[in-house]
Amino acid sequence: MNAPLFKFGMFGDEVSLIVAFVIGIGFGFFLERAGFGSARKLCAQFYFTDLAVFKVMFTAIITAMVGLFWLSWIGFVDLSLVYVSPTFILPQTIGGLILGAGFVIGGYCPGTSCVAASTGKIDALVYIAGIFAGTFLFGELFPFLSGFYNSTPMGQVTIPQFFNLSYGLVVFLVVMMAIGGFAGTGWVEQKFSKLAKETMP
Amino acid sequence: MTLSARHWTINKKLAALVGSLGFLALIAANPYKGSRLELNGRELSEIVQKEVDHVSAEELAGWIIQGKSDYRLVDLRNEKDFAEYHIPTAENLAITSLQEGSLARNDKIVLYSDGGIHSAQAWFLLKSNQFKGVYILSGGLDEWKDKILFPRLNDNASPTEIAAFEKAKLVSKFFGGIPQVGGNVASGIPKLAMPKLESPGAGQPKAGPAKKKKEGC
Repeated sequence: MNAPLFKFGMFGDEVSLIVAFVIGIGFGFFLERAGFGSARKLCAQFYFTDLAVFKVMFTAIITAMVGLFWLSWIGFVDLSLVYVSPTFILPQTIGGLILGAGFVIGGYCPGTSCVAASTGKIDALVYIAGIFAGTFLFGELFPFLSGFYNSTPMGQVTIPQFFNLSYGLVVFLVVMMAIGGFAGTGWVEQKFSKLAKETMP
Repeated sequence: MTLSARHWTINKKLAALVGSLGFLALIAANPYKGSRLELNGRELSEIVQKEVDHVSAEELAGWIIQGKSDYRLVDLRNEKDFAEYHIPTAENLAITSLQEGSLARNDKIVLYSDGGIHSAQAWFLLKSNQFKGVYILSGGLDEWKDKILFPRLNDNASPTEIAAFEKAKLVSKFFGGIPQVGGNVASGIPKLAMPKLESPGAGQPKAGPAKKKKEGC
């Protein structure tokens, strides 16, 4: 949580925990209702037979992006106050690949595993045990890994800044990418579902 | 396919909406605010009146001991003084370099100088430049010395004062200070030596400009 409301002292530790709880429950509820508590549904993404994950995530991205752009344009949000995570390109790429591999193998990402565990799925409980074991291992090995962990720092950088593009152009391109992606999903899903039926025993 | 929007599915309508918002974004101006001074006198005076922009030496000591890293501690004194002693985790920035981009508007910033004047001036400068989370270390480094490094127990202290001093002793030792018992300040105590930088700073993670926050999906 990087909400400036907490950071700038508009409420304290206790209230922030309540806020986090409410947002977390809401997030989990809608993930579950979208069907993301099922490893089958999530894995179908990687076989291109059901692209719901792609559609939900991309919808969230463009809603937030367009919303922030226009809210800040009318002066309601100050974008310079929004926290941007610093980029460490190499460790974050490797970390992303490890997380992705874990997603394919385990069938969940960290958030959805908790959602699935709340509905009593055993595989999700095993997955969560794996998260804790991995976190513990990482913590123990951190002295050896910290050099790599902090390598290739690029600071707090955004795509418009890095490629020297106008902010509006990036918004436009991502929106076009999303619309094109959504239009193509039906075709992809159909094609790969057929393929899956043909090749599966 | 008909062109009349009435027959569009909800998905098509949403796509059209976000598409047009995206297209308009192309021609809209950059929404990032540039560096300009803008004062809201009423807001500023209320902050000053309520003293919500102060961080006490005890609070700051607590944050450092807990290893909090959600703020940046800025030492506004000159390089020589900084090299001699600074509060652990502090970074040295001159007032003239405050607006050159080393601090971000969304950083929580705690300023300190010897007394309070310099940090108050820097506070005003940053506040008027739309920095939101700017705080002043109450009493500056002088109060840090009095309350944290060299806390003093008076001869005629009450039991509550003694209990508080016991706590202050531990904090003082953490930062390499020397708690003082008895006597009074006016009786010519030799100037207390500042702790060596290695001792308090050694166990502390040095807060660099690049800090990582853990996030997940």
